[in-house]
Amino acid sequence: MSFLVLDGIKKSFGQTQVVKDFHMAIEKGEFVSFLGPSGCGKTTVLRMIAGFENPSDGTIFINGRNQSGLKTSQRNIGMVFQAYALFPNMSVFDNVAFGLKVAGMSKADIDARVKEMLRLIGLEHLADRYPYQMSGGQQQRVALARALAPKPQVLLLDEPLSALDAKIRVSLREEIRQIQMKLGITTVFVTHDQEEALSISDRIVVMNAGRADQIGTPSEIYNRPATRFVASFVGTLNIIDAIVVDPAANTIRIGDNIITLREPIGALNQGDTVSIALRPEAGSLSESATGDTALTGTVVSTHFLGSVVRTRFTAGGNQISFDMFNAPDKVLPQPGETVTLRFAASDLLVVKE
Amino acid sequence: MKMTKFFAWLAIAVGVIYFFVPLLGTFEFSLRMRRGEYSFDAYGSVFSDAAFRATFGFSMLMALLTIIFGMLLIVPTAYWVRLRVPQMRPVMEFITLMPLVIPAIVIVFGYLRLYNSSSYIPFTGSTFGTNVLLVMSYITLSLPYMYRSVDTAMRTIDVRTLTEAAEILGAKWPTILFRCIFPNVMSGVLSGAFITFAIVMGEFTMAALLNRPAFGPYLQLVGANKAYEPSALAVIAFAITWLSMGLLQLVSRFSKMAPSRA
Repeated sequence: MSFLVLDGIKKSFGQTQVVKDFHMAIEKGEFVSFLGPSGCGKTTVLRMIAGFENPSDGTIFINGRNQSGLKTSQRNIGMVFQAYALFPNMSVFDNVAFGLKVAGMSKADIDARVKEMLRLIGLEHLADRYPYQMSGGQQQRVALARALAPKPQVLLLDEPLSALDAKIRVSLREEIRQIQMKLGITTVFVTHDQEEALSISDRIVVMNAGRADQIGTPSEIYNRPATRFVASFVGTLNIIDAIVVDPAANTIRIGDNIITLREPIGALNQGDTVSIALRPEAGSLSESATGDTALTGTVVSTHFLGSVVRTRFTAGGNQISFDMFNAPDKVLPQPGETVTLRFAASDLLVVKE
Repeated sequence: MKMTKFFAWLAIAVGVIYFFVPLLGTFEFSLRMRRGEYSFDAYGSVFSDAAFRATFGFSMLMALLTIIFGMLLIVPTAYWVRLRVPQMRPVMEFITLMPLVIPAIVIVFGYLRLYNSSSYIPFTGSTFGTNVLLVMSYITLSLPYMYRSVDTAMRTIDVRTLTEAAEILGAKWPTILFRCIFPNVMSGVLSGAFITFAIVMGEFTMAALLNRPAFGPYLQLVGANKAYEPSALAVIAFAITWLSMGLLQLVSRFSKMAPSRA
């Protein structure tokens, strides 16, 4: 049995069902991110693991033990909140020591453990400070140390980076991942930021309207999105509406372009509309490009984004973006110009609705 | 612009004259006990009066008990309402405002009917019981101020997240309330306490009708029978109130220096 199992979890608030039949098995030491937009139920699932909410149906197991009926304080779970939630009346030391004092540890043990935790987050020199004397990033690191101090069996991170500025966010997420790997603690991370989830997770659960649309590694989620929602939520994927030409031969039509897919579409009928996903970075305009498939259209706009240039063109009523690496001598396509994007047929993915 | 400034100063001047001239007059009169010269004889007479010490001490004790039991009632209530039943806040606001709407004399007559010596709960049947009733009536009177100051202090911290943070670290309710919440609303608790203290020290109706030897009825008694001492007592009562207000300001300033943020 996996270390953390969510078995058929459902949760309703009044008439509204916010989590619908959620299944998930997380291995010991794994870092799993719940990714999704606001209101998709990801935080509710996290809160049910913590024991702040009771599932309307289903069971949660941690290390083989059914958590139903266990209070939050009995679950031995660490949690970091979006709003830091440090106790304002306590110093950094006392905040980190809080869980240990509650557990009735000896003063010497508390002292040693708190120092160890503060060393881990690199804030040993700020032990006497109060939360209001620290920056957001420092407060969140203290919150992490406080959550880890009692050696919890699972660590829950509820959008811990959302309140921080961009630079701190990147450095802190790397720090969180390093600490998690060092301690080997099973971690569930909730975020709506796909870059965050992709960069630090072993696996990602993409949630949509109370369900897990896809569970997979960051690479699987990014490169092989299972649904149209996953494709549109993770990365800047082009979703192209195409018309099925010959289901048996896997051919589709986008504007005037006839394209043969690698994926079978035999279940569809001729004339059906099918959604095809294509990453902006998958294609190239170069004549010498190795792609076996081509898509011709008219340029609408070109945007300079620093390291890349994003060009948008239309084909068969679809707006399609593609990225090129920036180079000072590169001639950029102009609006109204006809361009041909070349890519491998394997880059085209059929997405479910 | 200049005219506006003139009227602003005029308003302040009128206010100052209205408030301070009677007070200065009272203070000046309180110093005239000795013929032909100013002295603090009236204050000496007041402080040497055994009844003053007894009633002042009694009211102090009542104020202290009111603050302790009032806070034990109000802090958990305000906390619970914020955490579990936020939709009940308007109801709580209404209930806590009632003592401002219902005159004290109506409340105390209600008490006397409900808790007299021949009732099922005969509080007035003994001195101790009457004192308990007096403390409860003072808690009722101070509800609007106590509840608001505590509730406002709770608004400055994220009660829910702090509670959850403590809970997940293994803390139980008493620990959460007394170690995580109470210290962070201390400024509100103290503000409420000082206002309560000022109210109880000057309260007349409840104490007089429950026949308890409090400071308020003593003030009235002295006022009816003596000349200079009532003025001295009025100045002393003002000093007590101002001291409470000063301490309140001091506490608010300290709480500003250490903002509590969840």
